[in-house]
Amino acid sequence: MNRKHEKDDVAFWQERRGIIRTRKGGWIPGGIVHNHGYSLVDDLIGKASYFQVLILNVTGRFPERRLADWLEAHFICHSYPDARIWCNHIGSLAGTMQASPVAASSAGVLASDSRMYGPGTILAFIDFITDAVVKKRNGTSAEEIVRLCQRRPAAKPTILGYARPVANGDERIPAMERVTRELGFARGKHLALAFEIDEVMHRQHNERMNLLAYSIPFLCDQGFSAKEIYRLLSVLVCSGVLACYSEAADNPPESFFALQCCDIDYQGPKPREVPSLE
Amino acid sequence: MPKMKDKVQKRQVKFVSRSVTRIWDEQASEHNPFLAEHCRCYGYDLLELMRKCSFPEVLYLLFRGELPTGEQARLLETLMIAFINPGPRHPATRAAMYAGVGKTNTSRILPIASSVLGGAHLGSEEVEAAMLFIKRHYRFAPSRITGDLIDGLAEGEERQGDFHVAPGFGSRFGGIDPLPQKIAAMLAGMSAGASALQWGCSLVEKLTPYKMGWLVPGVAAAVLVDLGFLPQAGAGLFQLICSPGLLAHGLELAGPYTPITAMPFLDEDHYIIEPEARKR
Repeated sequence: MNRKHEKDDVAFWQERRGIIRTRKGGWIPGGIVHNHGYSLVDDLIGKASYFQVLILNVTGRFPERRLADWLEAHFICHSYPDARIWCNHIGSLAGTMQASPVAASSAGVLASDSRMYGPGTILAFIDFITDAVVKKRNGTSAEEIVRLCQRRPAAKPTILGYARPVANGDERIPAMERVTRELGFARGKHLALAFEIDEVMHRQHNERMNLLAYSIPFLCDQGFSAKEIYRLLSVLVCSGVLACYSEAADNPPESFFALQCCDIDYQGPKPREVPSLE
Repeated sequence: MPKMKDKVQKRQVKFVSRSVTRIWDEQASEHNPFLAEHCRCYGYDLLELMRKCSFPEVLYLLFRGELPTGEQARLLETLMIAFINPGPRHPATRAAMYAGVGKTNTSRILPIASSVLGGAHLGSEEVEAAMLFIKRHYRFAPSRITGDLIDGLAEGEERQGDFHVAPGFGSRFGGIDPLPQKIAAMLAGMSAGASALQWGCSLVEKLTPYKMGWLVPGVAAAVLVDLGFLPQAGAGLFQLICSPGLLAHGLELAGPYTPITAMPFLDEDHYIIEPEARKR
């Protein structure tokens, strides 16, 4: 096959050159602000909640109010004003350097795109729970699903959502269970299995589910795709970050968790002379 | 119905009381323990490094713990020049330019553009993935994997847009991006002996008939592998290497006398709202 002198087929990009086509919406100056089939100004402002519009903008589907309220409660779950939490600590450090609140919240939100906590864990957990639901449907028990996550027969299984850093268990789950109940949501297959796995993990390995293992299955049961959930929850930690930022920014610069030189434990090479290079 | 009756328990995890580093040693001033009198990078005094070393040499030291050989330093410096600017059509640069023309605070331009450059398509995530791919395969002949890659091409025929047969290798705008091929050839000529770059050049020969070749992240990844950097360093190093161009383009439009009209804001003939998005 020799295509050396053939022209490349660029039709796909040529159609998109210098033009934007959108199924999302847009502003007609002096006219309507179209938003997924609604007028932002006439149909949404003052009539829909912020979280309803967030879901609409991410998914293109206008949700019922109770689902948006559930999502708002879930955002509150991630609003701990504790400066020891990694993303919040970054907010505090931005505050003590007198960075802007926008820079601080962006930095804190970026920090939460983590493999250990925050929205960065969502896709991996969805892989696990959706695969587990398929396994369950094919006759695999929750015990067996947990066993499949063990590297060795005697090893503790490492399952995202059942290994909260710093603490075992999650005080937010009973609160979200109350919210779920009060809003009248039934428990779907993803969440039911998440609780079954919790029961096995607790009985066999003394580990409890954390909020990730509660909220993501709930959102899967509501019909959201993995990409939609990741996008909906992308700025989840913003409120907690801003709390910590605000306190640090209101205090004198560099006064937050000040460190002396000796507060860093240097374990590298001893002093040495720079050799002549070349 | 299972309930979370058990009390949440703090784990018995021992956290350090002081952060540990092997990189940087700060010697406190006699007069103020919060101020450093001397700094050493892996044992080398900062002021001595300033006198005796180039920027790429100290950059290499920071990430590898030892100063590079002359050949390694030249290779890194050449890589940094090669990718100093993704160019004004690259989405990361355009993000910087829109920040600039939108009069965004100039200290935000670089983090904005770096975030866009952090993507999995032609961005720093692809550099890390390409480093992992190359490290996994480059000790074996490319022919051992080309069969699988070409099978992947057949699957890709149904897709719209470009296709990457492996991280760092594929098509760009439906063809082979010429500059990365030239840059890879030049860099491959700079290092003696077998290298990830030369392995990549051999792989690309097999992909050329399918209009696939080196992509920028693949070239960057191969050089970083040859220089001994770990894949997890690749993503951030790529952002660092591209930063000067991103910032320069952003600043070019950030001046107080550059009007907001200096970047396109499409009219309604070129911003087409599809019927399903329009108010019904």
